[in-house]
Amino acid sequence: MSELLIKNAVVCDPINKINCEKMDISVKDGKIVDSVSSGAKVIDAGGKLTMAGGVDGHTHCAGKINVGRFMSPHDMRMTNVPGLSGKEAPTATTRAQVGYNTPNAFAIGYRYAKLGYTTIGEAAIPIIGARHTHEEFEAIPILDKFGLTLFGSNWQVMEYIRDDEPEKLAAYVAWGLKASRGYGIKIVNPGGGEAWGWGKNVSGLDDPVPNFDVTPAQIVVGLAEANEKLNLPHSIHLHCNNLGKPGNYETTIATMKLLENIKSKRDRQVLHVTHVQFNAYGGTSWRDFESAAPQVSDYINTTDHMTFDLGQAIFGPAMTMTADGPVEYSNSRMLHAKWSNMDVELEDASGVVPITYSPKNFVNAVQWAIGLELALLVKDPWKVMFTTDSPNGGSFVNYPEAYTYLMSAKRRAEVIETLPEMALGRMNIPGIDRELDLYELAIMTRAMQSKMYCMDTKGHIGVGADADIAIYDLKPDSVDTSVEYAAVKKAFSGATYTIKGGEVVVKDGEITMTPEGRTYWVNAKMPQAVNDAMQVDLVQKFKRYYTVNQANYMVEDAYLPHPVEITTEAI
Amino acid sequence: MQTVTLSLKEKNTIPIEADAINPDNFASKSKDDIAAIMVWYGNAQSPIGDLFDVSIDGSDSAGNTKIIINGDVSRVKRIGQDMSAGEIVINSSVDMHCGSNMTGGKITINGDADSWLGCEMKGGEIELNGNGGYYVGGGYRGEACGMKGGKITVTGNVRDYLGEHICGGEIVVKGDVGLLPGISNSGGKIVIEGNTTMPASEMKSGTIIVKGKVAELMPTFKEDGTEEVDGVTYRKLLGDVNIAGSKGVLLVK
Amino acid sequence: MAVITDAICSLCGSLCDDITVTVENNVITDVERACILGRNKFVGMFLHDRIESPMIRKNGELVDVSYEEAIDEAAKILVNSKRTLSYGWCSTSCEAISKAIQLAEETGSLIDSTANVCHGPSALAVQEKGGPSATLGVVKNRADLIIFWGCNPAHAHPRHMSRYSSFSKGFFTQKGRKDRKMVVVDVRKTDTAKLADKYVELEQGSDYLYLAAIRSIVNGHEDVVPEVVAGVPKEEIIEVANTLKEAKFSCIFYGMGVTQSRSKYKNGDMVSSLISDLNQHSKSVMIGMRGHYNVTGFGQVATWETGFPMAIDFTRGAPYYNPGETGANDVLVRGDVDAAIIAAADAGAHFPQESLKYLAKIPVIQIDPYANPTTELSDVVFPAAVVGVEAEGTAYRMDGISLRMKKLIDTKFKTDEEITVDLINKVRELKGGA
Ligand code: SF4
Ligand SMILES: [Zn+2]
Repeated sequence: MSELLIKNAVVCDPINKINCEKMDISVKDGKIVDSVSSGAKVIDAGGKLTMAGGVDGHTHCAGKINVGRFMSPHDMRMTNVPGLSGKEAPTATTRAQVGYNTPNAFAIGYRYAKLGYTTIGEAAIPIIGARHTHEEFEAIPILDKFGLTLFGSNWQVMEYIRDDEPEKLAAYVAWGLKASRGYGIKIVNPGGGEAWGWGKNVSGLDDPVPNFDVTPAQIVVGLAEANEKLNLPHSIHLHCNNLGKPGNYETTIATMKLLENIKSKRDRQVLHVTHVQFNAYGGTSWRDFESAAPQVSDYINTTDHMTFDLGQAIFGPAMTMTADGPVEYSNSRMLHAKWSNMDVELEDASGVVPITYSPKNFVNAVQWAIGLELALLVKDPWKVMFTTDSPNGGSFVNYPEAYTYLMSAKRRAEVIETLPEMALGRMNIPGIDRELDLYELAIMTRAMQSKMYCMDTKGHIGVGADADIAIYDLKPDSVDTSVEYAAVKKAFSGATYTIKGGEVVVKDGEITMTPEGRTYWVNAKMPQAVNDAMQVDLVQKFKRYYTVNQANYMVEDAYLPHPVEITTEAI
Repeated sequence: MQTVTLSLKEKNTIPIEADAINPDNFASKSKDDIAAIMVWYGNAQSPIGDLFDVSIDGSDSAGNTKIIINGDVSRVKRIGQDMSAGEIVINSSVDMHCGSNMTGGKITINGDADSWLGCEMKGGEIELNGNGGYYVGGGYRGEACGMKGGKITVTGNVRDYLGEHICGGEIVVKGDVGLLPGISNSGGKIVIEGNTTMPASEMKSGTIIVKGKVAELMPTFKEDGTEEVDGVTYRKLLGDVNIAGSKGVLLVK
Repeated sequence: MAVITDAICSLCGSLCDDITVTVENNVITDVERACILGRNKFVGMFLHDRIESPMIRKNGELVDVSYEEAIDEAAKILVNSKRTLSYGWCSTSCEAISKAIQLAEETGSLIDSTANVCHGPSALAVQEKGGPSATLGVVKNRADLIIFWGCNPAHAHPRHMSRYSSFSKGFFTQKGRKDRKMVVVDVRKTDTAKLADKYVELEQGSDYLYLAAIRSIVNGHEDVVPEVVAGVPKEEIIEVANTLKEAKFSCIFYGMGVTQSRSKYKNGDMVSSLISDLNQHSKSVMIGMRGHYNVTGFGQVATWETGFPMAIDFTRGAPYYNPGETGANDVLVRGDVDAAIIAAADAGAHFPQESLKYLAKIPVIQIDPYANPTTELSDVVFPAAVVGVEAEGTAYRMDGISLRMKKLIDTKFKTDEEITVDLINKVRELKGGA
């Protein structure tokens, strides 16, 4: 196949401890190699910032986002971020594009690629709805994809935990990952999805799930143990109980502590807590609501067993979508907003509600601050994944804007100036002067993902990695990112080059070609005898309770035209 | 003052989409420049000059530009969309979306207007000397707000969903109105001089006055005595009770 | 002889996936578990008139032509059109739908599904208020109150009540029908209504008022409700409102009686608001009783590919959506298009007279396994394989669960997807040559 030589790249590659150093990169057959022949095509990076392709490890890009699209035809004409939102007619290279928070599948691929991202992870796949997720994955051009499978309110999971059947639980999880072609275990408001089946919720870690005699704490620990028994590449990926409620930081910290003693054979965290912005709230009501980012960060600074992502809020319209059904219902009542809901038989719940984060609104202003505080107060950037939980905190097309908040105290001060007085007393961001550098940004946007997902060919550009590369119009030698934030935003909004699998897919911010991406999934092997015993129980579930036959339930190979199967052996 | 007269050469059936026809776009342009402006005709674009005879008198700013449209433009959509100033006079019936999203200026239609007249308008004035279609002053699919400002006056009748999601501004209809006028009103004023059916459903705030007969009153309003407006006494109804914190006022005979 | 188990019935939106089919000499000889409608689809296909060959209308008569000639002729129609309507695509696979959307995009056409004449208003309602819903299995396992509103599953979705709703047994509903209350709201006493515990008869077109009255009561404003609404006495409305409030889990299944009667989508909008209000007291969801087996799939695919579920207009390049303006019948009644392609749906049988009159005036391309009234209006006709029997592919059940339909027998006919891809390629060739 083809060879490519990128000359004069100033490389920020934290996995390989390269901190903005000038070097050449050789690419052959879609991989980074030591050297290429003299016939290689040459790209002169001209001293520009060069990173591995970005990895968004928690985004809503396939499945539930379609509910968001369906209910928001008005989103399709929103042009909030010029060049990365709104309607565009098809061209010779690209399909028609629409939308902002809920763009069509084609636009998702093009826009992530323009930002220099090459891999994205869908944050929630219901097993029974997984076929749909993979249909949408297939429609997203360019990017590699993977998805996390929901297990946190699953009947079979809760029963095995209640009945103390850890082996069968692991076998079931392995089966569920295979059925859904998922990459890892997602837990959303553990037990809450089942309670929502009766219009209720669980109130915290020790509040038993109605009719199942198991607590959220037991679900989390049980699944974490199964996760490590299966030796999965990712840890459990957890959306905590009580999301969005004032005072929830206590639940959040208690949940984090619960997993301190879980051991993994892999060199990664045993817990990833997602969109912590929504779970680091102080106060007892919306009246005395305040940031509890310091408490949460203080705890995270004392431990090494976990990672987390931000769920940064972006001012303007957004679209909340989560398997946390009860949260979405209360959002819709509080905001007088339209509400879609989808309870999923035997497995989970979900909801979708539009929201607007206004800088004039005191709660929204504090939410904006909390995300940034978490990123800046947690000392080790390897624990922090940058996300907006797109489009929950805001669309991913706002990432470049959000980077400037993290990299420039001056830029933050400009925003803070527009916030209500009352909000300022409830946040800590005005007193924080830390500014991320490009190396730290590279950690939070690609390198830490490589480690936390054990994807050793992603998130870096060492030899053997996939040739997913982003070159941005910034000269690390001369740019002062804390002052020149406009240039930073511009550079990250449209890569000079995005290279995916060795092919130039973006040049000067425009799409040049649209190859199909691959889908990663995990095939975790359990001993056959355990699988067989588990199947006996599962067959009953299908016979008596599911409305889909087991034979029609598993996602067929036809839905993964470009699969990457990761196999693991149970411990 | 600049006056531009457009006369449709030949009546079309496939709609022409003429959002380019507005004073902001024509101001201080020459006849040739205007004739060269592209409008959509089916899935291709044509210069205005190919479809319309163009004549022009004077040259001035948008605020001092008047566009007169002759010929049967009942299949020309989006005239005056997004306009901010100046005047358009249409001497015919006109197709959908006339004056949609306008922020200023005035449109006079001497004929009927098809649906979405003045949809999501934010300012300015529309005078319809004829009948209107559906969604006069309404909002587009999925939007929380229809018309937010300005005024629409209709001398004839209009069809269903008048002022759907209206959030501000005023609509006066002299004739009859179809189903569910002022549905989800959040701050607009609607006066219906003729008859209508099921007005003001899900109203949150604003005022709706019906001078004619109300065919079916929504079972979602509280009686609150009477109120006098311009010497006429109306039954005063508050609601819609199913909308949290509603402060809407519906006045009926 | 081959026995194929777990086959999917691709007839109605229930998409039953437990069918056993026996095939002998490439003919389906036995079908187990399907209802009469489903059975007719499987077995009846050997009785109906298949279109045997591609055809082009010459001198007023449809005459057999080669496939290549038909593709050529159809592509010419599309390329020369100022604005084509592409309609149907609901009794076919998602894979074919995806290609149909691409064809519409590349030809600057408008594409709409059969939702235009059935559940389109449900989508508009969701766009107003959202769609609080659940998968059918949730209803099976939990619902102690089932309401059929403006729909008649006894005839249109014969196995719905036994598999998913009234008569099904689940985890919290072990006794099936005995564990549930069943209410039917309609304008006439249907066969479904005869099975109900309570039947509410509304005056034609007054669903909106009745729903609003229930909401007023549920929200504690009984005082504003007059003595009779929609022809129903107040006490009876209160009774139904209380039944809803007191249920542990209720589901409102709604049909075309709701979406196609007066106030159309505003009825669905009001159902959605009622569900939201009810969740203040108990658990409640709504599910639309979709007819064509994959009309839901069209909505899904179109939404992720174009942002919109139906009535998508590519005339100006980027997708534009405005039912009332861009729906199939909107443009036919007004004469806004100059050509049409109709696939996997019978416009000829279901469209109003005014639309058909216009269709008769413009060139029409048909893709369908069977000759039907649309064929009479068509100028180019492609015979197609029966998806779900002769071709595999994806379909979406009424609750949004997707399933893979199997290929049960071999066929000489091309699939909708293959024909559409050939059209795309020919259109590209003609445009490139121009
Ligand atoms: S109910 Fe519908 S899907 Fe099921 S067998 Fe009958 S026709 Fe087929
Ligand atoms: Zn998320």
